[in-house]
Amino acid sequence: MNQILQQLINGLSIGSVYALMAVGYSLVYSIMNFSNFAHGGVIMLGAYFGFFFVTLYGMPFWVAFLGAGVCSMLVAVLVERVAYKPLRARNAPFLYFMISAMGASMFMENFVIATIGPTFRTYPQIFPSQPFNLGGIYVGRLDMVMFLISCTSLMALVYFIEFTKLGKAIQATAFNPRASALMGINTDFVIIVVFALGGFLAGIAGVLFGMKYTVYPQIGSITIKSFIAAVFGGLGSLTGAVIGSFILGILETLVSGYMMSQYRDLISFSLLILILVFKPMGLMGKSSEEKA
Amino acid sequence: MLKKVAVLILSVLLITAFATGCGQKNQGAAGDVVKVGWIGSLTGDQAVWGQSELNTLKMLAEELNNSGGLLGKKIEIVGYDTRGDATEAVNAVKRLISQDKVIAIIGPNTSSSAMAISGILEEFKVPDIATVATNPKVTVLDGKVKPFNFRVCFIDPYQGAVAAGYAYDVLGFKKAAVLYDVTDEYSQGLAEFFIKTFEEKGGKIVAKEAFKSGDTDFRPQLSKIKAANPDVIFMPYFFKEVALSAKQARDLGINSVLMGGDGWPSDTLLEMAADAVEGSYFVNHLDFDDPAVQEFKQKYKAKYGKMPELNGYLAHDAFFMLVDAIKRANSFDPVAIRDALETVDIQGITGRIKIGKDTHNPEGKEAAIIKIEGGKYKFQQKYAVTE
Amino acid sequence: MDWFYIEGVLILAGINIIAVLGLSLLTGFTGLFSFGHAGFMAVGAYTSVYFGERMGLPFLVAIIAGGLSAGLMSLFIGRLTLKLKGDYFCIATLGFGEAIRLLLDNLQVFGGARGWPGIPPKVDLTTVVIFSLLGIIFLVFLINSRHGRAMIAVREEELAAKVMGIDVYRYKVISLFISAVYAGVAGGLLGYYLTFLQPKLFGLQKSTEYTIMVIFGGIGSISGSVLAAFLLTVLPEILRSFAVWRFVIYGAAVIFIMIARPQGLMGGKEITLKGVTSILGIPGKNRRTARSGEV
Repeated sequence: MNQILQQLINGLSIGSVYALMAVGYSLVYSIMNFSNFAHGGVIMLGAYFGFFFVTLYGMPFWVAFLGAGVCSMLVAVLVERVAYKPLRARNAPFLYFMISAMGASMFMENFVIATIGPTFRTYPQIFPSQPFNLGGIYVGRLDMVMFLISCTSLMALVYFIEFTKLGKAIQATAFNPRASALMGINTDFVIIVVFALGGFLAGIAGVLFGMKYTVYPQIGSITIKSFIAAVFGGLGSLTGAVIGSFILGILETLVSGYMMSQYRDLISFSLLILILVFKPMGLMGKSSEEKA
Repeated sequence: MLKKVAVLILSVLLITAFATGCGQKNQGAAGDVVKVGWIGSLTGDQAVWGQSELNTLKMLAEELNNSGGLLGKKIEIVGYDTRGDATEAVNAVKRLISQDKVIAIIGPNTSSSAMAISGILEEFKVPDIATVATNPKVTVLDGKVKPFNFRVCFIDPYQGAVAAGYAYDVLGFKKAAVLYDVTDEYSQGLAEFFIKTFEEKGGKIVAKEAFKSGDTDFRPQLSKIKAANPDVIFMPYFFKEVALSAKQARDLGINSVLMGGDGWPSDTLLEMAADAVEGSYFVNHLDFDDPAVQEFKQKYKAKYGKMPELNGYLAHDAFFMLVDAIKRANSFDPVAIRDALETVDIQGITGRIKIGKDTHNPEGKEAAIIKIEGGKYKFQQKYAVTE
Repeated sequence: MDWFYIEGVLILAGINIIAVLGLSLLTGFTGLFSFGHAGFMAVGAYTSVYFGERMGLPFLVAIIAGGLSAGLMSLFIGRLTLKLKGDYFCIATLGFGEAIRLLLDNLQVFGGARGWPGIPPKVDLTTVVIFSLLGIIFLVFLINSRHGRAMIAVREEELAAKVMGIDVYRYKVISLFISAVYAGVAGGLLGYYLTFLQPKLFGLQKSTEYTIMVIFGGIGSISGSVLAAFLLTVLPEILRSFAVWRFVIYGAAVIFIMIARPQGLMGGKEITLKGVTSILGIPGKNRRTARSGEV
């Protein structure tokens, strides 16, 4: 009994890492309709920003946290300006955005290896590492922080998109960019806002990931899991991305814990594919129309 | 307009790249400079270790050249990145041999790349000394020794046997759990041989769990291992994952002793894992506190501002293995060097290196058992298994 | 530059051309995005080498068996996933590719993650050139046939294609099958060229690289795919002396080309004999052909 509770908590904690990364990714997807593979690169840079703010400049945690968010925001907007805007201007199909994003992600990872170096770096301890012991079940403090932050940022985002004027503009742009431009919405600005938000979330995700695990140039590759989770949850749906992430985290944990950990991804991916066969638009997929 | 600028910049870039590539074409042994090749990971997830190897070689070559060179010539190290990919290794070696005309190659740091290049080495008769390629099949395949493949490290079966022997015989553990990286060749090999020896000795493997390269969370597997209640958990993988899994094991309330192999030693491990690895043991190639090692460590630190990783020590010995062979062959002819490599018997910083003619492995190289105590690596003893 | 090194790069380029041609049919002509192509390649590679070395079949038979086994695998995968759309299909193939790799990592019969060394070298430049020429010729005939046009119709507008009486699902299956066969053959050739196989060779990175090549060459252009596969195999080799900066430049180059020429190298057009002659200044009958052959 203890073990299964522990495993569920493990799963939730792994899921919240995926969720944190999936939200920003899914946000960009819902507006731009393409998989922003550069998101992983921005997350990785976020982790480095936070790390250097804390270690080199001795900033308090929350300053570093916000600072990393802001810096990643700038990076994400920069990526958008350099790698996507020229494509948007030409109405290029989504495939080209994806390739451009892959180029950007490759660039960022290798740029860090070439300049900062491949060494693994560790954040100084900010939260006491001793986990809470609830009758033999261990819950990490950082895990709870991450869980809270994933949920809060999701709610804040949903509020922002549903209830603010800018959010409505984002929705309109997602629905029909041309018509909303005619209605006087500055679509270019809206897209910058979306990338800025995505970048900020990426930065936060990067710092938390770095604090929980470690900082290294290949962090971005973890986002593949969030990508899978977001698709599974239903592309373009923020809630779907978060739910998909928690399901994937728990599924992986249960497979490792009660089946064969050697075949974890084989089993969990097969299950996800099977579920997609029955629910082809993911769990919370909005329309039956092809998004891509 | 933008298109034209793009094309222009790209072509300039390619032409310069081409030109620099061709510019390096001067013949290996001709002139005053002799080229020695290196391949390994400068990028990708093994970059930490690869860069340490290349740094070491460049430093040693510079030193050698400053003290008069070798047989009156200067040594130049030509290093190429493989990203740890066997296809890239094949390309890089073809380039080293045919274009840079190297007389010998040091590296790579993965067994897969070392195995993929043996055909080319044999075709062009250029010897290679692998640094940390620990798969037995790197030098001996189907009972036959590969003529141009050598290595400076001990092999998986040996290391696995040392770890299992020490755990069972010396530390007296009877129940072991193994956590390994199923997608990593080194980890899979070491896990297999540890289990084999441990079971042969009468021990019991109570759990065998796996993860995938790139994973950062091991709590699902560790929770399962915890339920099996082992005396010792064997962790045959690299230090980043070791630090993470050790911390997570302690967070889950696991108090078993942790044990590992030569993927562990690094200053970064102590920094990352702090007290989570306190009291753990691992198998190493050398004792870090050995006076013979200090000189190298200090020189490296002075030059690059950080400590060498384990691969640096092995690259150091591979370099001196090669220098010894060249001196005794008294020639830069790759085949003569190969012949001399077969009879190498030198004292390296990772121990005595006496190459076996039929295995091309350093024979009877003792392993060092290291314990982590008070946040430091404490040498326990030299330990060898007789087979 | 020494011929031996160049030959090695050319062989690899040829193998990549075969794999990219297959992916080009799927992505460029049928409009399906696959991130699991390295998985098909792995199936082909391991089957080929198994048939060739363990069962002792002749090289050619082994390669064909590899291609067919990848094709069979695609029928199975296709049945499950081809009803999915866009990114959903893409993610399903990604999952498949990673699943195959994990399976091979576990299979100790084939050496597991430690790989399969000691495969005899049976691939030289001639073999690869013959295979890629056959691949190009077959694809050109296919694309210009009724079936090829049906596939393009599926890419352009599924619904319209359906209305026209095209069996969309069937054409997707055929397209995936053929492209998997290409990948399988490329895998077999790679194994016999490298003399070594390891699941790690067929990671997500490889699938991504092939997709980049297809898009880079221009959607729906066979000559573009060939050219792109060739250029992007050669580029990292040319950049080799840049050491750690190599993939920084490669990544930047990918972005650069996308924004400078978002329709890809060939932009859906083909290099034709007519186009080439008119570019070279040999007078042609029609000036419009010159434009279609523009690089």
